[in-house]
Amino acid sequence: MSHVVCALALLIFTVLQLTVFSRINLIAGSPDLVLLFIAAWSLQEHVKNAWLWTGVFGLIISVISAMPFYAPLIGYLGVVLISKLLQRRVWRVPILAMFIVTLLGTFFQQAVYIIVLQVSGSPISWLESLDSVVVPSVLLNLIFALPIFAVASELASRIYPLEVEA
Amino acid sequence: MKFFNRKNIQTIVLLLVISGLLFLAMSGYLTPIFNLTLNPLISMQRWLSVRYLSARDLLTTPSDVVQLRQQNALLESQVTQLQTQLIELEERLGEAQVCFALLDFGRTNPQYDYIAATVIGREISPFLQYIMIDKGTEDGVRYGMPVVTQQGLVGRVDAVIAGAARVKLISDSTSVVNVRLKSAEIEVQLQGSLTGDIFLDMIPLDETVELGDVVLTSGLGGNYPPNIFVGQVLSTQKRDNAIFQTASVQPIVDFTAINAVLVISNFQSVDVSPLIPEK
Repeated sequence: MSHVVCALALLIFTVLQLTVFSRINLIAGSPDLVLLFIAAWSLQEHVKNAWLWTGVFGLIISVISAMPFYAPLIGYLGVVLISKLLQRRVWRVPILAMFIVTLLGTFFQQAVYIIVLQVSGSPISWLESLDSVVVPSVLLNLIFALPIFAVASELASRIYPLEVEA
Repeated sequence: MKFFNRKNIQTIVLLLVISGLLFLAMSGYLTPIFNLTLNPLISMQRWLSVRYLSARDLLTTPSDVVQLRQQNALLESQVTQLQTQLIELEERLGEAQVCFALLDFGRTNPQYDYIAATVIGREISPFLQYIMIDKGTEDGVRYGMPVVTQQGLVGRVDAVIAGAARVKLISDSTSVVNVRLKSAEIEVQLQGSLTGDIFLDMIPLDETVELGDVVLTSGLGGNYPPNIFVGQVLSTQKRDNAIFQTASVQPIVDFTAINAVLVISNFQSVDVSPLIPEK
């Protein structure tokens, strides 16, 4: 059940991202719903399949995207790693963890994109990227982080009902 | 032997599966599976895109203006076509006046074949300026075909599968288009940028570039057909100690609001890279 829900949610968020949310721009930045859902899903306490479906959808998005060297896959796997590391440290305040993962994850993903693009010969600079893309994207992701986290939490709570204390 | 507990074995198996999938994907063995996987995604994307655009139009536009909008779009299209014709006619007249008519004899006005396509998505990374269209190899779309709207140049097909294609916009930071300025009669390069703005580069310092000058494709390089409208010069920048000047260009196409495009199907792009000497 968990696999089906995760795969379906990621499919919906991928389509929404490609169709609607990529058109929402702040300067040159845009939100990334897939990243946000992966971050929110990975932070859920009982979820065990985050790596698997992040790998699968990272691969699919890498094929769709024009980004070279499977950069989206690397970016999304990095977000799961950050989530899992933070989950053990700030698990008592999941909202705070979500904001931290969104912030760090977006920076990590964008850094991967910049490095990959520079390696492949694109004439982009760190400073211009930071001003025009990274900071606006972080801001937009932080705005959308809360509703996506709410959706992921709701889904997780339905799949993994709270354990009744004896 | 604690290392070979169930959790670690699961992790190793998972890593091996992901590595295997990555290897197969990079080797191209998964391409048919990707095509099979992507087709429903494309259908879903197309369905959702149409609904989203309809909903957006419904919310942003009063319903009684829809007909007027259609008429306005038609008239705008006709005006653009007439402007293009006017530019071509003026061009021909100028060439006739300097007795280049014979040389221009072979440059007949090309009659392009078009494949109409709907924009079903945009690139997921904000660093790149790409769009996705709902026509692919099954509809005759091929790699390298130029993409236009009724206003002017949009880009070229960068990747194509059976039911969809990815188009690299001329505003992408890696995009370079050979263009010419109509009144200045110079050939320069048009480049995209990270922010989606486009600008002219490599303009000689002694050339005078007038604001509002029309930018057309030159056809050099073999990637785009000549005389496609690109935009107008917005401003020029000259830096001290620079060898060339640059100019900002206002594109004729609004890249953020493209809903439909035309793929020129009877233009054969030429790969001139073997002719470029290696450094």
